[in-house]
Amino acid sequence: MDHPIYYPKSEYIETDTGNKVSRRATIAGPQNIILGGKTIIANGAIIRGDLRRTGPGHAVVISLGRYCLVGEGCIMRPPYKTYRGNFNYYPMKVGDHVHIGANTVVEAAQIGSHVEIGKNCVIGKFTIIKDCAKIADNTVIPPNTVIPALSSFAGSPGRFVEDMPESTQEMVEAMTKSYYSRFQPDPGSAATQQR
Amino acid sequence: MSPGVEYYCPCQASTPHPPQPNLASSSYSFHALHNLYFCEECDAIRCNHCVMVEVSGYYCPNCLFEVPSASVRAEKTRYQSCARNCFMCPSCSNTLTVVPSDPPDNGDERIPPTINAAGEPPFFLYCNHCRWDSAEVGITFEKPTGLAAQLQKFEDSAPESLEFERLKEHFEPYLRASPSTSGNGLHTHSPHMNPITAAASSALARDIPGVARYMPHALSRSRSGRDKNANRQEVPDYRARVEIGAITTGYALGGGAEPDVEFMRHLETVEEVATLDQRWGNSWVTSPRSIDLKPLRIPLHSKKSKRCPTCRHILIKPEQKAQSVRYKIKLVAANYLPAITVSLPHMQAALAMLRRSGRANAEPQDGTMLAGKTYPFHLSFQNPLYDPIQVRLHVQRAIPPTQPNAPETEKARRPPFAITLPTQAFPIAAFAEAWEYDDDEDMFGLEGEGEGEDEDFDAHGPKDSRGKSRTVGVLERRANVTMIGGEVMISKEARGDMKFNMLVSYTYRSDDPEPEEPSTPSRSQAQHKQPEMKTFSFYTVVDLGTIIVRDTSSVDLDS
Ligand SMILES: [Zn+2]
Ligand SMILES: [Zn+2]
Ligand SMILES: [Zn+2]
Ligand SMILES: [Zn+2]
Ligand SMILES: [Zn+2]
Repeated sequence: MDHPIYYPKSEYIETDTGNKVSRRATIAGPQNIILGGKTIIANGAIIRGDLRRTGPGHAVVISLGRYCLVGEGCIMRPPYKTYRGNFNYYPMKVGDHVHIGANTVVEAAQIGSHVEIGKNCVIGKFTIIKDCAKIADNTVIPPNTVIPALSSFAGSPGRFVEDMPESTQEMVEAMTKSYYSRFQPDPGSAATQQR
Repeated sequence: MSPGVEYYCPCQASTPHPPQPNLASSSYSFHALHNLYFCEECDAIRCNHCVMVEVSGYYCPNCLFEVPSASVRAEKTRYQSCARNCFMCPSCSNTLTVVPSDPPDNGDERIPPTINAAGEPPFFLYCNHCRWDSAEVGITFEKPTGLAAQLQKFEDSAPESLEFERLKEHFEPYLRASPSTSGNGLHTHSPHMNPITAAASSALARDIPGVARYMPHALSRSRSGRDKNANRQEVPDYRARVEIGAITTGYALGGGAEPDVEFMRHLETVEEVATLDQRWGNSWVTSPRSIDLKPLRIPLHSKKSKRCPTCRHILIKPEQKAQSVRYKIKLVAANYLPAITVSLPHMQAALAMLRRSGRANAEPQDGTMLAGKTYPFHLSFQNPLYDPIQVRLHVQRAIPPTQPNAPETEKARRPPFAITLPTQAFPIAAFAEAWEYDDDEDMFGLEGEGEGEDEDFDAHGPKDSRGKSRTVGVLERRANVTMIGGEVMISKEARGDMKFNMLVSYTYRSDDPEPEEPSTPSRSQAQHKQPEMKTFSFYTVVDLGTIIVRDTSSVDLDS
């Protein structure tokens, strides 16, 4: 519905591009994190941009597209492995219109666009989630799993449940946009509000 | 359940009217709008129960490799599974990883298709979820690639594979003789059976006494279908090479005889026994020991095209590329019918209170409607068309469908609730791209600074519950959305779900003024005054939630 989701105005910082980041979220290594715009990082979320590949220079560790939501208490941590004797972290790339439910841990390598991930999930290391996929609440996706486009997964370990409807892209886009526009500072919580 | 609206597809019924919402058949006939299709040719709603489904492409859900349809059909593939390196854990069904003999450093695996050449043979398959490992069941590989081919040798020589090959040879002539069934839907509504189905069911009816009673096709055939020579072709008896009886006499595990007893006697942990779930997909008698579980092939997934069952026009045609989410043709009902959402102002108010008090994740709860009370509700209609529409609503009378023409005699049975909706037609403005989207500079900003209609709309709640005149009628019009108010009066004796069927008729300007087809039931009578206007009607079911009784002691009993 069109009803607003209020937050105390002082609790979130809004960037020029419309990202809303909770002051109660932990953003480690912010210089290594990209937020596409109109993305919300909720209370208690932890984003580990500090876990970067060793070596000189600048490196993007975690990138999120537009209209994403990292829910309350989520942990976003880049995947890691030891390859030819060297331990390393690898980047995590998340597309547009991706919602991640509360208390979910994500160590994926790649998440496409228009993806919904439920609450209390574990998305294992190097997981690849393609466009328009859906992960149900409480799902455990083991490391290295590939989740095809337009498929829904649930369980532990997560298994294919069914195909998503053909209109998933439009539905998820409408949902994420509506969520963002409803996510508003509480007019009662600050005197500076209009009206 | 939270309030919601679902749309009716009449394919399951012989009348255009839906079943009463309290009947079990109702939920099967109503669908979320996003799951429905629309055939322009027939001017009708279609659903996943009635569309014809065709496979338009195959791919492996793990390595995402696209398998050409021709090769899937031609190849004697192993049940249309991935022929590369993809296997499923027989214990937990997670995807298996190929690992070298050096034990993996704690969770250090690769993405399956990219095989790390480094590492010592022999290679084996490993599950990083439950730690199942193929070496423990005696399966190892010399090379980390082409595992499917390496395993095929074992699979092909298995007795059940040989049996399956022989069965296919046995039935091949009949398959070829039958009219082509390839490519035509998972289910078509054709009343006749193909010869194979006919032969199989007649064999079943012959071999199992009494079964013919439950097979209408077999019955009708025996009465009237004697002359159809295609169906007369009886398939000769097939002699199985593997005798189930021979196994059960006691040579093999799983036959239920001595070896099984022996195995069970020496169990140390329950994990030594494979679960039914783990053995379910196997054929015939299989060993009950979990140590005998073999890695499983990963079945291919498919992309599907969908056709209208009546006129065969394509409704859904995906792009060829397996992981593309785009469609060449996509005729979904959401592009034709207004999207209807329902909300209950008294619940929204309660919810807003919860959220303000810090429970940001508070969700609407059911059971907030008390018997014996009256509640307002809001229905909002969003117009997907580029032209304005006029909408008229009609509540389907809550009478048993067996007596549709005798509403008066049903007076005695008082309906548990009464619905009031606006009786006048109301307009919804046209959809315009600018209203929906988007993007950066920007409708949200405008909205905030502007008239602040959001607050306005919130303010209706409390006002409405007192002033009755404001409750029923058009409450708000904004962009291509019109919100109307309705009212439900719940009787004191009412229990259960607050659901009612609602007929929605909308009038729109038609691009091509064509003669009316009286045969289509969903299209109403012609609008003679304005020949370019057309009306389309469809049923919905509106669910307002669950009624609870005021007495708190019985609430506890109910819930
Ligand atoms: Zn249907
Ligand atoms: Zn049907
Ligand atoms: Zn594969
Ligand atoms: Zn496993
Ligand atoms: Zn059609």
